[in-house]
Amino acid sequence: MPTAAKTPKQPVPVETVASETPERTVIGWQGIRFTLPPEWNVTGFSMDRDNGYLRVDSPGSGTLSVLVRWQNAAKPDQGPPTLYTLLAPGFRKWLRRPEPEVPKPDLKANLEKILKDAQKQAKKAKAHFESSVKAERTEGENEERTSISFSWTGGGRGQGKIWYCATCKRVVVAQVVGLQKDHGAISAIASHLFSTLQDHAMEGYDLWALYDLNMEVPDDFQLESQELKSGYLHLSFGRGGERIILDRWGLANITLKKFTREEWFANNAYMSTKKLSKESVPIDRGHEATKFAGALSFLARLRLLREAKLSLKRFPTRYEGGIWHCEESNKLFAVQVLHNKRTEGLWTEVVRRCLCH
Amino acid sequence: MLMPLTTRLKYTLGRYLPFLKIRPPDVDRQDVLVLRPGRNALITWEKLENGTTLLRIPENKSVGWLTRMMAKWLHAPTERKVELDEVGGFVWELCDGKNTIEAIVQKLSREYKMNRREAEVSGTLFLQTLLDKNYIGLYKKASKAELKQAEAKRESTRPSRAQRRGDRATTASNMEQGTTK
Repeated sequence: MPTAAKTPKQPVPVETVASETPERTVIGWQGIRFTLPPEWNVTGFSMDRDNGYLRVDSPGSGTLSVLVRWQNAAKPDQGPPTLYTLLAPGFRKWLRRPEPEVPKPDLKANLEKILKDAQKQAKKAKAHFESSVKAERTEGENEERTSISFSWTGGGRGQGKIWYCATCKRVVVAQVVGLQKDHGAISAIASHLFSTLQDHAMEGYDLWALYDLNMEVPDDFQLESQELKSGYLHLSFGRGGERIILDRWGLANITLKKFTREEWFANNAYMSTKKLSKESVPIDRGHEATKFAGALSFLARLRLLREAKLSLKRFPTRYEGGIWHCEESNKLFAVQVLHNKRTEGLWTEVVRRCLCH
Repeated sequence: MLMPLTTRLKYTLGRYLPFLKIRPPDVDRQDVLVLRPGRNALITWEKLENGTTLLRIPENKSVGWLTRMMAKWLHAPTERKVELDEVGGFVWELCDGKNTIEAIVQKLSREYKMNRREAEVSGTLFLQTLLDKNYIGLYKKASKAELKQAEAKRESTRPSRAQRRGDRATTASNMEQGTTK
């Protein structure tokens, strides 16, 4: 069972991402991570990890888009759950039976579906449709990927790749789409995209990166809620009853004219900070965070119990939360962690992996 | 500029009856970004010590006599005050008719270290609010070719010197006859 405070073998990922930030836009969502030219922004996403999509658009009035779709081959979208699908995993665990082998998905059939959709679009636009599909090949460091590259023209133009990753058991389709005239740009973006795209967590941590945010969270935490507003960003992750909550506010210099850091945090914290111990802790990148820690209040526990639908799985007992001001990016960052005794040090690890500038 | 009433009615109809497929033409983002917002000349404003900006908006004087009388009787204020926060004041100051929306977004992004997209979304939304309330207007700087074209059009519609002289002569003769046009 993975524990939250995983000690990385070497702190490479954090440094690598940091050095890439100024020149490239790093995008990370639901285990998918890649880099694009500066100022590309996420414009569409799904909350589901098993079956979802991500859309990133070029800056300005650019017509290029990167579309990434993924589906977990082990958990295909089969519609409403049946009694068997609900009970089988529990029985398997109880009888200590191994998980059934995931059959290798038919990439060609999936690809045909995608091209058929593109052909329909071209027909609507009354354009001639043409597509080319390359032969299936194996790639990746451990040859865990089976991929097929493809391209199409008609109405617009697209260049993409579909692959199945044996490590994360996901079928991923990534394509760069644009207008007919964008041929050169599409090829350049596509080659960059496919050389940087990763489809599963690295060293047990998922990267969540968008709108200049860059943080890593243990991969068994699922995204539960999000708010992506101009000047305010909120991501909440859950694992059983445990929670990691990240808030980021822009225009910090204006906020701090009216409130102190502590006041602002107390107004926005998950629970009252009155009975918590307060300390100042230095964090990476030369900032100092105000950290609050203590036992979860009774009201907070009740709220958690309701949110977890009365489940006591990984039920948290401790609260750790902190706020810091990053002058370089003029933003306030707050990380709150609700955890149990087994996962001490989770707050420190998440804060270490949250790059504010 | 306000749309003609018939056009507005047509688009309203299209909004409620979508199968008619009547909708306003799509506006290109690039066309909007080159527009220059300018402040309404009737509005006076000042920067306060706390960093906010106070706008004084005069009340509409073209109202009926009854409203005027009631306003006088009830001691209604002659102006409305609107306070803009620091960021709002910063954008308001830049609305001088010289800066394009693109320039304002860039300056906003640089000044407050905002992501370009964040700055564009919040900046344009704020300008939209100001525009809806008629606090600002949007201008488009015409290119040289457009200016020439407009000049040519004006010239073609303006009566020639000979025509004008002829008109004057006709008017004079009419006046002599005791009639004026």
